[in-house]
Amino acid sequence: MNAFDPYVEFARKAFAREATYRVEVFTNVGSLLLRVYLLRCVWTALYGQNAAPPNIPLHAMITYATVALLMSLILEIDGTRAIREKVREGGIATDLMKPISLPLYWFSDGFGQTVFHAVLIVPSLVLALLFVHVDVPSPPVLGAFAISFVFGYLVNFCLNFLMNVVAFWTLETFAIQLMVRWAADLLGGQIVPLDFFPGILGKIVENLPFAAVYSTPLRIYIGELPPSAWPAAIAAQGLWFLLFAGFSMLVWRLAERRVVVQGG
Amino acid sequence: MPIIETRDLRKVFRAIKRTPGALGALRTLFSREYVERAAVESVTMQLEEGELVGYIGPNGAGKSTTIKMLTGILVPTSGEVRVAGLVPYLERKRNARNIGVVFGQRSQLYWDLPLIESFELLRAIYSIPRDRYQKNLADFTELLEMSDFMNTPVRQLSLGQRMRGDFAAAMLHDPRIVFLDEPTIGLDVVAKEAIRTFIARVNSERGTTFILTTHDLADVERLCRRIVLIDKGRVIYDGAIEHIKEQYGTHRTLVVELCEDYPSFAVEGGEFESRVGATVRVRFDRSKISADQLIRRVTEAYCVDDVSIEEPELESIIRRIYVEGYTDPGAASAPQPTPVS
Repeated sequence: MNAFDPYVEFARKAFAREATYRVEVFTNVGSLLLRVYLLRCVWTALYGQNAAPPNIPLHAMITYATVALLMSLILEIDGTRAIREKVREGGIATDLMKPISLPLYWFSDGFGQTVFHAVLIVPSLVLALLFVHVDVPSPPVLGAFAISFVFGYLVNFCLNFLMNVVAFWTLETFAIQLMVRWAADLLGGQIVPLDFFPGILGKIVENLPFAAVYSTPLRIYIGELPPSAWPAAIAAQGLWFLLFAGFSMLVWRLAERRVVVQGG
Repeated sequence: MPIIETRDLRKVFRAIKRTPGALGALRTLFSREYVERAAVESVTMQLEEGELVGYIGPNGAGKSTTIKMLTGILVPTSGEVRVAGLVPYLERKRNARNIGVVFGQRSQLYWDLPLIESFELLRAIYSIPRDRYQKNLADFTELLEMSDFMNTPVRQLSLGQRMRGDFAAAMLHDPRIVFLDEPTIGLDVVAKEAIRTFIARVNSERGTTFILTTHDLADVERLCRRIVLIDKGRVIYDGAIEHIKEQYGTHRTLVVELCEDYPSFAVEGGEFESRVGATVRVRFDRSKISADQLIRRVTEAYCVDDVSIEEPELESIIRRIYVEGYTDPGAASAPQPTPVS
């Protein structure tokens, strides 16, 4: 039997678990359509007021906002959120009594949920196209976008993991969670493209790790980044991922040690 | 070779010192003053494979801290610990394959999924070979009568059903040692009995070693021959239940049903315990006065409808030990462990 078997199983179980909440699924699709529509209205109004940056025309902006919204459906899934609950209620002890790697367990659990929601996005996307026009780029661009999105996903997982693992020290992480989430969304280009940040500030935010989550794949998607700039952009994402993954492993070691030494 | 072995096992917790009051709370935020508390002072014990031992003690005695050290999720402050030849905290994951755990108050089943899905997941976690898994699942389904709710989501199960599911979950991977923490808490008598029967059968048929931690001494009395009694982090008794019962068993209680209402009740050689309605309870020492003699004295002085004699239950003995401490009438110094083979 394969060493990764348990983790494949975790992902499948998470998928099945998500599927049990049918009502939630339908309300999610509904609220998504509403948000897509509202985004179109807001950006159309803003562009009417000449608030637009020169390099992003309105149709690209609406595409950006819509794709960002769809991405957030996946990226806002946080498999590591369970850590907080487990540490506070002591369930972490039972997990540690299993012959598994817990970070990998949380990753696969989150991944299973992700796959479920990714499947859901398809009908949402089709419906969304009825409300707004979304640009669909050429296959090479879509391919580069997909690769970039995977790296964004990985960086996002590490950020979430690091945020939640703080629970081992403080138990209450909600405030940290909120701050980091907000900063990540704003500075990562989920709310507005980073081109909206003026001058030097724009340069800074483009080089922050948050940009690796939303901004890089989105800039590839709307064609703001030409093919010649892809390798460097994706390499930067990869670098952030390696850095955060290493840091996550280090922090996990400490967290695990903290439980076994002090009893959580 | 013993399957579980600890020597002078000790665990000290360090906690931030808290000062009372609002100002104190503020100071706690910044101060780094610590207080140390030994949850387990010194525990030395040996368990042979296939034993079913009751590990009991009052709240805060150090039971669950010991169990956590045996399962490898706590590092001892000092002392030695070996479980099936492994040092648990050094090899947590390998140790995890040898052990199973059932917590009465915490389920390890997947809340939203049908019971069978949790079992499937455990098959993957422990890499249980297919045929072995199928056989165990079939055995446990029959023994625990789980077929009716195998496809029901765990959140819809009754506590009794959930516990049965948890037992199967803890044992699908054929653990050599199973830790049970309050496994019958909150269950009705029928469900309790079903669980006890299951434990006894698995212990005798599969030779699984069990450590049973519980406050329900009826569980212990029904299942275990040996108990390890712990208080304030130390082992105060380790030996056969029979032995402790003999030591403390010189006391009996005479229950008298009076036919008239007497204003007071007293009898020489007996110690008045309680009186509810016409029922009077008198404790006496069998080595000082025979039951026969005591009954005769009572019937001479009072009109009696009925008499009966109660033997002390393990519960009342343990209660006395908690209050008075343990002293072995046979031994002059510290209690000698009396291992059961």
